[in-house]
Amino acid sequence: MPLIDPVTMSSTTASPKASSPIEVLPKDISRIVSQAHPALLLAAYYMRFPSFVVDPVSTLLSSLLPLAVIQIGYTVICLPPAGTSTKATKKPKPGASKKGLETPTSGPLTAFIALTLTILSSPILFAIQILFGAPLTTHLPHTILSSLHIALLTIFPLVYVHGTDAGKWREIASFYSPIDEVFGGAVGCLLGAWMGAVPIPLDWDREWQKWPVTIVTGAYMGYVAGILVGAWLLKGKRIELD
Amino acid sequence: MATPNFPKPAPGSQNSNTIAAQYARAKALKDAEGKPKTAPAASAKQQKSTAERLNEVKKERFMSEWWWVLGAFVWFLFIHVTGLYYFTKGFLLTRLVLEEHSACAVPPIAPITSFKGIGTVEAGCWHPKTFDKAVVVIIDALRYDFTIPFTNQSEAQAYHNSLPILYDTAISQPQNAFLLPFIADPPTTTLQRLKGLTTGTLPTFIDAGSNFAGEAIEEDNLLMRLKEEGKRMVHLGDDTWTALFPGYFEEGISKAYPSLNVYDLHTLDNGVLEHIMPLLREKEKKEQWDVMFAHFLGVDHAGHRYGPNHPAMTAKLQQMNTVVGDLIDSVDDDTLLVIMGDHGMDSKGDHGGESDDEVQAALWMYSKKGIFGRTDPAFVTPPATAKIRPVQQIDLLPTLSLLLGLPIPFNNLGKPIEEAFAGKNGNDRGNLAAVTRMAAAGIKRYQAAYYAARGIETSTAEGSPHDLWETAEKTLVKGGVKDKMFRDPYLAFSAYQEETLRICRDLWARFDVPSMILGVGILAAGVLSLMLYANTNSDDEDSIEDLELERAEQQMELEVFAKGAEPVEAETTSRDMVRTAAIGTALGVATGPIFRILMGGDSLLNFGLAPGAIGGLIGVLGQEGKGRMKVTNPFPKTFWGWLAATFTISQSIGFASNSYTIWEDSILLFFLTTFGVAAAVKSLRLEKIADRTLGVYHSGAFIALGWLASFSKLCREEQMPYCRSTYYATANSSTSAPWQLLIPFVLAGFLPSIIKSYYAGSRSYEGFAPVWIGWVFRGGLVLSAIFWTLDAADDAEWFPNLPSGLLKNIRVPIAQTILAIALGAGTTAFIYAPPCVSITTIPGASTSASQPVPAKATVTILGFANVHGTRYLLLVLNILLTLLLVQKPMGFGALSLMTWQSLSLLELLDLTSLTTSPIGPITLALLSSFHFFKTGHQATLASIQWESAFIPLHSILYPYSPILVALNSYGAQILGVVFLPLIILWKQKPKKRGILRSLIAALAWHVAYFATISLATTMWAGHLRRHLMLYRIFCPKFMSAAAALVLVDLFGIAVALTGVRWNSGSVGEIFGWG
Repeated sequence: MPLIDPVTMSSTTASPKASSPIEVLPKDISRIVSQAHPALLLAAYYMRFPSFVVDPVSTLLSSLLPLAVIQIGYTVICLPPAGTSTKATKKPKPGASKKGLETPTSGPLTAFIALTLTILSSPILFAIQILFGAPLTTHLPHTILSSLHIALLTIFPLVYVHGTDAGKWREIASFYSPIDEVFGGAVGCLLGAWMGAVPIPLDWDREWQKWPVTIVTGAYMGYVAGILVGAWLLKGKRIELD
Repeated sequence: MATPNFPKPAPGSQNSNTIAAQYARAKALKDAEGKPKTAPAASAKQQKSTAERLNEVKKERFMSEWWWVLGAFVWFLFIHVTGLYYFTKGFLLTRLVLEEHSACAVPPIAPITSFKGIGTVEAGCWHPKTFDKAVVVIIDALRYDFTIPFTNQSEAQAYHNSLPILYDTAISQPQNAFLLPFIADPPTTTLQRLKGLTTGTLPTFIDAGSNFAGEAIEEDNLLMRLKEEGKRMVHLGDDTWTALFPGYFEEGISKAYPSLNVYDLHTLDNGVLEHIMPLLREKEKKEQWDVMFAHFLGVDHAGHRYGPNHPAMTAKLQQMNTVVGDLIDSVDDDTLLVIMGDHGMDSKGDHGGESDDEVQAALWMYSKKGIFGRTDPAFVTPPATAKIRPVQQIDLLPTLSLLLGLPIPFNNLGKPIEEAFAGKNGNDRGNLAAVTRMAAAGIKRYQAAYYAARGIETSTAEGSPHDLWETAEKTLVKGGVKDKMFRDPYLAFSAYQEETLRICRDLWARFDVPSMILGVGILAAGVLSLMLYANTNSDDEDSIEDLELERAEQQMELEVFAKGAEPVEAETTSRDMVRTAAIGTALGVATGPIFRILMGGDSLLNFGLAPGAIGGLIGVLGQEGKGRMKVTNPFPKTFWGWLAATFTISQSIGFASNSYTIWEDSILLFFLTTFGVAAAVKSLRLEKIADRTLGVYHSGAFIALGWLASFSKLCREEQMPYCRSTYYATANSSTSAPWQLLIPFVLAGFLPSIIKSYYAGSRSYEGFAPVWIGWVFRGGLVLSAIFWTLDAADDAEWFPNLPSGLLKNIRVPIAQTILAIALGAGTTAFIYAPPCVSITTIPGASTSASQPVPAKATVTILGFANVHGTRYLLLVLNILLTLLLVQKPMGFGALSLMTWQSLSLLELLDLTSLTTSPIGPITLALLSSFHFFKTGHQATLASIQWESAFIPLHSILYPYSPILVALNSYGAQILGVVFLPLIILWKQKPKKRGILRSLIAALAWHVAYFATISLATTMWAGHLRRHLMLYRIFCPKFMSAAAALVLVDLFGIAVALTGVRWNSGSVGEIFGWG
């Protein structure tokens, strides 16, 4: 994979091959786990949903660890850790791999670093929710926990595969990364959380309308949809914002 | 900023310092350079005059094009008004007013038992009379819970336990007095209530609009009956009575006072008190009248001005308590005393809608005869809440009529109040049955007449009024006249009355559906043509910035023009559209009379307007459609187009739900933040790091400021308990907290500096800008801040020693001064101001004598790159100053934040090359809709800040008072549309081509947003016309959206388009026309 020059990277239309999509590791176990991962997440979410509606805070809190385990397992088994690339290993170029993390890195260690960064970055997601109109004076644990869940779904796999390369992260922040199952999942998760706000104002008086049930539900469903779309439908394409 | 470098042949005279002269000089240098050096001088001169002629032609073309653009938007305004007119005509409920009147000698049914003197007013027309005289006192906005004791002292509000006399007398002398909740039919405005109370029928919604001016009642009513039977009436207080009943009251002793000055709590009440006691106590005066109507407004005004939970309310209620005591002492045995509220007030002291607090008034009746009774001993204690044993306000009319021996007016739908006819011991069921049957028979007679006039079949099914009446008559026959058995007929006739009332409520929700559909159709076609018009005039791509290319183009244009060719075809499609629309409208109007003959009836206006609008629409749509046959894809082509469409359409769909209507402010914040995030993402893709940083900064500012503004809230009742009002000092007041008064002062310091920083980006803080922004605008803001401080000082009586009215006399001239600065001086300044540029010429540096080539001079024009935008912004600031004055301090803050956000929006659109996308105008429309809520408004009648009519005035003055209320209510939308041209003008160099074309596309998109919202709310209100929440949610939202649309149209034409004409004129005169 060619190194991205920060200047040319931004004018990616001129150099569309600036970065390429992430491939699942070419092992049978990786393929199987990557297929099972969305199904497992949805099933687990479905099972926890009733208690989530009854007591959002403690359910979100108690499911953080299982979620982290699922995400760590998925990334370590299926995805190339930062600094390695399925393609880069095939045709290495001199001086090409100057990623933020040194190569080659072990999966678990990368996962640990990614986990730390994920937790550190969740305040940004928290702030975004507040700016979109989440309650400021009440429900703070709810919002913090929903940020952590969303961070584990989006930021964690992204850090795991891309490390802390500034150019790459600018590409991700501008939603211009080539679509693959990691980036697709992240975009889907954020879009899902965004759309999760839609039913909140309705006066149906349902328990599940309370904060942040719909947001987190939208995030999970969007994440799964994003993974599927990213892995199959739109792989390698880019989001144009013209 | 741009610093064009012009080669210098000669320095020329440098005396003149006007910008025009400076630029002309610089231009001359450039022209001289442009021609080949070998060309003869004569040719140069000729080419120069060709350039001048081309400039003239371009100017003329702009001016005439502008008139066509104006015509186009006037036509759209016409379409919007016509569509809204037809919808409103069909939607706002109408009730057929019957001409028939009741007569004393003609009862609707023969009484069960005859009595001596029947059919004469001396004995009683239809029922034996009880009283000769009556004193009817209305304490405006007397809510039921003001009158009953509140035991929990720690939670007692200012309005609790201050008017205990009504409750106490009802308990201590149950045979002399009773107190009951008195439920008003909405709309709960005084005018509508008086109509309902005196005619006994349900006022329909259409009358709500005429709050400012009453009109005489033609229907049969209590006062008409009184007059016909020779009773003399006297009136004191609220002048709404004299508007409704002109010529009814005894001259000399009646005294009416103006009612709309809500700032004045005492003049009217003291006037009434001055006259009422002599009329009751002095023998000579006592004989001059039979029935007295006295109407106090102090409680209502205290509510409007301060809210119910304020010491002023306590004082007012205590005063009323004393008044009631005096009245009790003064009335004689034959006089009935009635005290009531005509409606309640909401938690902020306003009213008009149908929330519980607004409809729950109190009714208290008193007489020294001791004739009142209760059918159950437990009923002696007045109900603890207004939900228990309430009576309807229309029930007062039959009660009063029968007690005074009058015929019940023809249209009455109420039933006599039980307590007044049950007898001392509460067991006179014969009397109850007789009065209920008489009232029911009147209702039956009215219903038959109404059905006949409307051509409706009477149902005879089980449970129908017809069936209930038959049953009631049977029970009467079976039961004979024995008291014990009479309970049944009483209940049976009551059931009849209740069912008929229910049916009438339904019936008068009679909508003229064809007219509504016509209105919706016109609005829908109008939205479509507006969007097509916007689309045809929007540029598909951004023009490439290339100075060389531009210069070459200009040169070519000049050469072509010199050969005698006309420059270019029309810039916009406005001319074609206006012509087609005019022809279509004319043809349509011409067919109007034919339709009228074919369909018969109705006014010529209704038959001319619709075909006119439809003809024009068909013409325009046909023309637009023909021109774009090949365009097959009706969907937006870009992400931003989709985003704009998503915002508008999802909101439009959302208005079908009461929840999304109630929470509109939160939804708008959500959308605005979404735009901000999308803009930040887009900015991150920019090439230059400086642009990226600026883009992220402005997106962040846009989001953060909107979020900050979202803390200014005025909650509507339906948002409770999930919302906390912050717009006023407390949720129960309508005055600002002291800390809120600091907002205008802080902003007077900051806002001009913030605006200056946006000028600084293009080095445009030159010319007139420093004076106007730094001094005049800032001075206006300081004056505004002082005004609101004085207003608060007056409200809270900080200086009790000052003579009353002094503060008002100081602050009104201040407000007038601000308006004079903003509108008078400001407009003049805008028209004559030079562009915000500064031109400096640095002579050529001929340092070296050995240099053979002539040295070059550098002409630097600071602010060149933003000539159009910075000058036009001065106009926006004038309007802003006006709007800020008429907002409360919190609204002052909200509109300032909106201005800041809008400026960031301009920078964002410029950075991301989105100035010609619909997303700019639509985001601005969302922003202005959002700040409508942040300036303390909701889509409810009760949230209208009527007191803003008095900011620069001492009393109501037409047409200024309604204009001030409109400026207060829709300040954000007005600011938005006035700001709109900046999306196109910001950072545009002089001679920029196609400005007008881009501008009309932007304005059309902006108006299209409001037109779509208006169309959607219209459709939903029409579709949900039987919805429980129609009058609470959908109808007010429809009215609010319609008013916003018309105002945006008007200000778009009068300020935005007109302002751009002057602006372009000024820039063009100096720099030449593009």
